[in-house]
This record gives sequence, C-alpha cells and structure tokens, in this order.
Amino acid sequence: MLLMVWYTPSPEVAYSNMLAIMSNVPLGQFMRDLHRLGAEAMVIIVTLHMLRTFLTASYKKPRQFTWASGVVLVILTYFLSFSGYLLPWDQLALWAVTIGASMIEATPPEIVGTNLNLLLRGGPDIGANGLLRFYLLHVLLVPALLFVFTGVHYYKVILHGHSLPPKEENIGEDTAKRVPLDKRVYFIPDILSSEVLWIGVTSLILIVLVTWFFHAPLENHANPQSTPLGTTAPWYFLWIQGALKLGDKVLWGIIFPTVFLVFLFVWPYVDTAPSRRWAHRRIQLTVGFVIMSTLVIFSYMGLSEFGVVNSADVTIMHHLTMEPAHNHMGILRPVPYEELVPGQYTSREFAVEDSREAASAVAALNAEIDAEIGAAIPRFMNIEGIPPAATLDEDIRLYMETQHLPLTDLNFVTAPDAAPELRAVLEEFAHEIELHEDELYHGWGGVIITEVQDGLKRIDVFIYWQDVVVENGKVVYGEDGEPIVRLDENGNPIPRLNAQHIFIHRDSQYFAAPGT
Amino acid sequence: MNLQGLIFQKIEHRIIAGTVAFLAMMAIIGWIAINEPGRMASFEQQYLARSIERGAGLFASNCTECHGTDGRGIVGRAPGLNSPYLFGHDFYGAIDRETSNLEAELNNPNTTEERRTEIQTRLTELQTERAAIGQRLATVSTIPGYYDPESPSRLTNLAWGSTLYNFVYTTLVHGRPASSSYWGQPMAAWIQTGGGPLRPDEGQDIVNYILNWDKGEDWTVEDLLAVNQFPIRPVDPATVVSGDVETVGTDVAAIVAELPSFQGDPQNGMTLYQGALGCLGCHANAQIAPLTDGTWTRVQEVRLQDPAVQALLPEQTGEAYLAFSIVLPHDYLVPPYGPVMTATFGAQLTYQDLADLIAYLRSQDQPIQ
Repeated sequence: MLLMVWYTPSPEVAYSNMLAIMSNVPLGQFMRDLHRLGAEAMVIIVTLHMLRTFLTASYKKPRQFTWASGVVLVILTYFLSFSGYLLPWDQLALWAVTIGASMIEATPPEIVGTNLNLLLRGGPDIGANGLLRFYLLHVLLVPALLFVFTGVHYYKVILHGHSLPPKEENIGEDTAKRVPLDKRVYFIPDILSSEVLWIGVTSLILIVLVTWFFHAPLENHANPQSTPLGTTAPWYFLWIQGALKLGDKVLWGIIFPTVFLVFLFVWPYVDTAPSRRWAHRRIQLTVGFVIMSTLVIFSYMGLSEFGVVNSADVTIMHHLTMEPAHNHMGILRPVPYEELVPGQYTSREFAVEDSREAASAVAALNAEIDAEIGAAIPRFMNIEGIPPAATLDEDIRLYMETQHLPLTDLNFVTAPDAAPELRAVLEEFAHEIELHEDELYHGWGGVIITEVQDGLKRIDVFIYWQDVVVENGKVVYGEDGEPIVRLDENGNPIPRLNAQHIFIHRDSQYFAAPGT
Repeated sequence: MNLQGLIFQKIEHRIIAGTVAFLAMMAIIGWIAINEPGRMASFEQQYLARSIERGAGLFASNCTECHGTDGRGIVGRAPGLNSPYLFGHDFYGAIDRETSNLEAELNNPNTTEERRTEIQTRLTELQTERAAIGQRLATVSTIPGYYDPESPSRLTNLAWGSTLYNFVYTTLVHGRPASSSYWGQPMAAWIQTGGGPLRPDEGQDIVNYILNWDKGEDWTVEDLLAVNQFPIRPVDPATVVSGDVETVGTDVAAIVAELPSFQGDPQNGMTLYQGALGCLGCHANAQIAPLTDGTWTRVQEVRLQDPAVQALLPEQTGEAYLAFSIVLPHDYLVPPYGPVMTATFGAQLTYQDLADLIAYLRSQDQPIQ
C-alpha cells in the first residue's frame, strides 16, 4: 500500500518513481527491501510447506481437496511474485519478464500462443500496456484470487483439522478430530499466542536481513534495445528455463510444466494407499525425490553459466566491464578512483613469470606495435580512402577513433605500484587471456585510462589476437595439436580486435560483491 | 508435539519473547529512520555519478560527431559545450563587481578623503587588470561564432527564461533548425518526446554529463580559447536588405544557360562549402550523404551514365548535374540516401556562389573507392 502511493505504472515514470522512493522517501528503501525480501520469503515458505505436506502425506483422504487448493495457492504465489518483478522497470525486470512471457508465447497452436502473449504483454513487446497489465495483476487480480483460495484452503483446514504426525496414528485412520480433550491444542490462547510470536520473530528476522544483508536490486533503466549478457528468469522459474535448453520450446516450455502441474493436482487421487508411514510409501517418496532432484538440476541448467557459449573475448570483456546486474559487476568498476591513473597498460606486463621482466615485456610490446607491417598483411581497420595503417600502433588507434577515443600514440607503461587493485585487475585480465590462449591465439590486451572531465574517467579495454577456427564455441585443433589459424587469401593470419569502454565517476560507489 | 516443546511451551514465555522481538524491531526501524537523510543524500550523489557515466557513453556515440570528443565543438558544424560561454562565466566578473562597489563608495559623501585616494589607486589597478585580461581574450575573435567578453553568458544573450539544465535538455528534445543565417545543417531531435531515438532518462544522462563540464569560478582564459566554435547568432531579419541580391532560383535550364558567364573560384567555393553553407557537415559522413571526396569522378562516371539522371538534366554535363542537385536536391536521390538535404539553396546562392561551389567540386576528382 505504502509503495503504491509513490508509484505510477507507466514506462515514462516508473523508473524515476523508483529513484524517488530510494532518494526522497524516508524509509523508502527499507519498505522496498522488505517488500522484495518478503515476496521471496513467501515463495520459499509456501514451497517448503507443500514439500512438508507431501513428505508427511497429509494430502491423503480426507484432505485431497485441501492439497489441490494449496497447489492453486502455490501457483498464485509464484505469479504474484512474478507480476511484481516488472514494476520497477529496470533492465532486470524487463528481461526476466520478457523471458517468462515468451514461454507463454510458445503455447500451441500458434494462434493461441500469439494471442495469449498479446493479452499478457499488451503488444508484441512489453511496453506501456504490458506494464499496466502486470501492475493490475499484481495489485488486484492475483491478490483477489489468492484471497478467495486462501479462504477455501483455510475452510478445508478447519473442517478436517490438522493431520497428526503419521506415527501417532493407526494406518488409514484420521484422528485429528478425535484427539482426547486434554491433549488438544486450542486456538485461544495457544495457537494465537504462538502465531503472534512467530509473526514477531519472522518480521524481526526480515528486518535484520534488510537492514544489514539484503537490498532489493535496482539496475539501469529498462532498454528494449539492449539485452544484457546472462539474462535469466526469476529464480523460481529457472527450472523452466533450464528445461527449455533441452530442446523443443513447446514440449519443454509448455507441455512439461503443464503436465507437472496436472500431476501435482491429481497426485492425492492417484496415491490412494491408506498408509502415511514412510516405510509404506517407498515408491511415492522415490518419485517425489526424483522430481525434486530434476527440478534442482533444471534450475541449475537455467543459469546463464550453463550451456550458453560466448566467444572468449566477449566473456573476458564482460567480466571486466559489465554493469552491475545479478549481484555481479565488472571487476574494473570497484577499483578505487585514485588508482585509475591515466595511462596505457597491457596484459603483457603480467603475462611474464618473473615480475622483474615485466618492464622489458612492456618495452618489447611497444617495439612490436611500432614495427612496420608488410603491405600484404591484413589490417582490421579498412577505411575507404585512407591508406592501410603502416604499424599495428596506427591500426589500433584507427580502431579506437571509431570508439571516439582520439590517441596520438600508443605507448604502454607498467602499471603504477601505488595502484594495487588496478594491478590485480590487470593480472586477472592477463590470466584470463592466458586461459583462453588457444582461442585468443597470440592474444594480448590493453587497458587505456583517460580523464574525460573533472571526476570522470574513461577506461578502454581491448584484446588483440589472431583469428582461429572455432566451431560451436570450441577451438578446432590441427594435427599438430595447435589451433588452426584462419588465413586470408594471401596466406596471412587475420588479426582481430575487440574493444569496449566504460566511464567511471568519482562518486559512483561501486562496491565489490561479497565473496569476490 | 516435539516442535512445540522446542519453542517456548509456556504462554508467558511466548509473550515475553514476542514483546522482545517487537521492541527490537522498533529499535532497528528507529535506527534506520535516523540514518535515512544520510542514506538518501548518498543515493542521490551515487545516482547522479552513474547518470554522468551513462551520459558520457551516450555523448561519445551520438554527439561527438558534431560537438567533438572533447565537447569543444567543430568548426562549421556545431558549437562547443565544454565552454565558459555556455556556463556564463564572466572573466571580468570579479573585477567589475569590485569596481562598482568602490565607485558606490566614492559616491558616498561620508567617505573620507584618505579612503578616496585608496579607492582611486585600487580602481587604476583594477583597470590595468581588466585590460590585461582583455588582451589575453583578444584572440578569441579568431574563433568562429559569436562571443563577446562583455556579455559572456549564452543564456543571458538568448534571454532564456529557465535553467541551463532545461536549456540543454529542451535543445536535445527538439534539436536545432537550419537556415541561411544560422547553422548550415540541422541538429536532429534526439529525445523520443520530440520524435528522436533516445529515451527521456537518457537525455537527462546526457545533460548531467554536459553540466559536469562546469568549472564554476575556475574557468580559465585557456579554456575559452580552446573552444573551436561558438554558437551562431542568427542574423536579425530586420537588418537583411532584400531585393538587391539576385539568387539563382530553381529553374535548372536557366541556371545552366547563365552559369558559363561566371568564372568560378575553387578557393572561395571551398570556404562556402566548409564554412557558411555547412555542406561538409553532412558530406563528410558517408552514412548521411555522399562523400565530398570523389564527387566529380562519381558525377562523370556514374551519375551522368544513369538514364534517370539524364532525363532530368537540360544538358549532359557535370556542371549541369551539380547545379541541378544543389538547387533541387530532392528531385533525384542517390541511393541509399534519403531526402535530408536543405532544399532552399536556390533562394540563397548567387550565380557567383554557385559557380564557386561547382569549381570547388570539380577539384574533387579522387578515384572512386
């Protein structure tokens, strides 16, 4: 309710509403964190509750329908959380929901999928209509349904009572309503005081967590034109994303989750054996554990690290420069501002085994790039009307000009000793290039730091290497065990260069993620 | 139940534990509330910093082509933004303020004679200082565009009714028009509000980046002299005398018949092409318009061989084609370019201007790439 006061569901202002909540509303961040953490906790607790019910077989007669209404509640809880995901209108929100919604698009036949997708997103892509729909789902429809089904669920719970632990009952009996008077637990005062206590304790735990350990993420403004590398669905839908990597979109994205849900609904009517004791439920428990393991494995497969192949240069660049997302950020970002001394540094300095040779390695590289390259050797910068670069130095500078970085000369220097964190990043850079030395054949990297404005520096990172044959993300090796170098029509290796740049402001306060 | 036994079996204990939890909660929330002003300020600072970073990226990829990588502007194309003029720094400000204070004191009948002599000495000193700054500023007149050290604020000169932030932002929203007495090529509308490609928040990022150039009181004369181009002041239409200049119009046959009686000067043509008319602003970028390099070669070897072009020309010469494509730029479009060229040159150019331009373009006979 309180957050709604400051929120308007429109792509123009949703994100600035978030900023206002964070910067101008006292306790705004606290409320947002609590809301987010509470939502995650609700998903976890509801799932655990379902798991407990399954393990103690509390779904058995006469509580089959209680279980079915519970399954509805689980689904609604997930959707409540999912529909809230989009509302901040940041990159995380937009892309997580885009993935989720495109699963719906796969529903066969095509006409149904397309129209379901249009209904949910309010257009082919999520825009103003989609945001409004998700907002209404989140604050109106799903809570209303949740309210109704919670009523049904509770009604059934009161009607049949809580099931007793299996071992306290005879097989096939339901004695919840026949507990002797002196052993019964009454709502007033026992359950009530317990519940109040638990509300107090869990709220305290949540508050402690949001004060010191958890903050709701807020990434950059949603941008439909730029997909961040490593986009994933919300974690509780990762299992579907993982399943999707197995193949057919319809089979794994639609049929598999639907079958799974139907299976959950009918389970109490299928497993009608009277005994609730573990020893008598070996098959059922096995099925349950197999399903749980599958879900865990699928969820792991849903992570961006699994099964998505990026080329080595892209991966390394991303590791160095990525903007904060999913609790990660490029390792260059948290380097203290004073350590970003303007200059041109290279991975070669850190590629030598003996640190005393570092300076000479840098000097050797400078000589290498300043040497004349023969006329036949290809350049990666072919600009109409401009004669090909005479040296590699010039070639790289021509490329950097296309990145709007004017350089008069390339002259690498050793990284300053007074900048240990910058040195550590360069060392990591060199290490990663070495790890991919087959794909980035004869590869080396450069980091160029320039001061753009007072309090603002620009960092350009580039990798230079010789192109090798890569198939399905794997380097192809020749008979000699060496990577096959790709050659141009003159039989010369083809040079490659990839560069990226970020800007760092003195007050940006990027902090290294915990544990890195 | 076992679980129940593990946790406070007695109701009194539950009540105590619940109360303690509640009090702890209140204490933490109170503690957060006390720290809120600091946290909010820090978030705002951090957000502005990251906005500047994003703005820098957007500026580099969208704005440097015309405003330069250092934001100091490009001659004939766009004015410098990294400039004391935009931020209204008055190099005489401190001196003028002191002078007027001292003069006020002189006019005060209660000022003692002793103090008056003191003031006179100081006034002479200030005048010398002012003259020294004026001397250093003298070379600023070689920089194209309008800059007057006596009236050093762009916003004041425009009589702008709002803040600098809004001046830059609205300019991004709607761009800048082109005209014969203004810039040769338009600035596009950049923000979606005005039909441009960028989102409003991206526009704000760019403005934050531009405003980060402000040095406040620390601007130096060197900063001013480093600017490559100042804004153009549109010519006051009231001062333009109409009727005494004969422009070429858009009748290509008549132009072609008249042209041979004018001797074109390629040097003057180049000045027009690169400066006042601003042709180079677009014809230096192959993505916007055909390159200047190789114009004549392409006219001879490609355009004149094209039947579609032949049908449009009164005679099949390179001069006729160039005259035609300057005064009627949209009648024939070189693929893949769109109709973006200003179509008012017929009403701007004299025969001499056109002959000069054509003479200059004749010299662009580099081989086709």
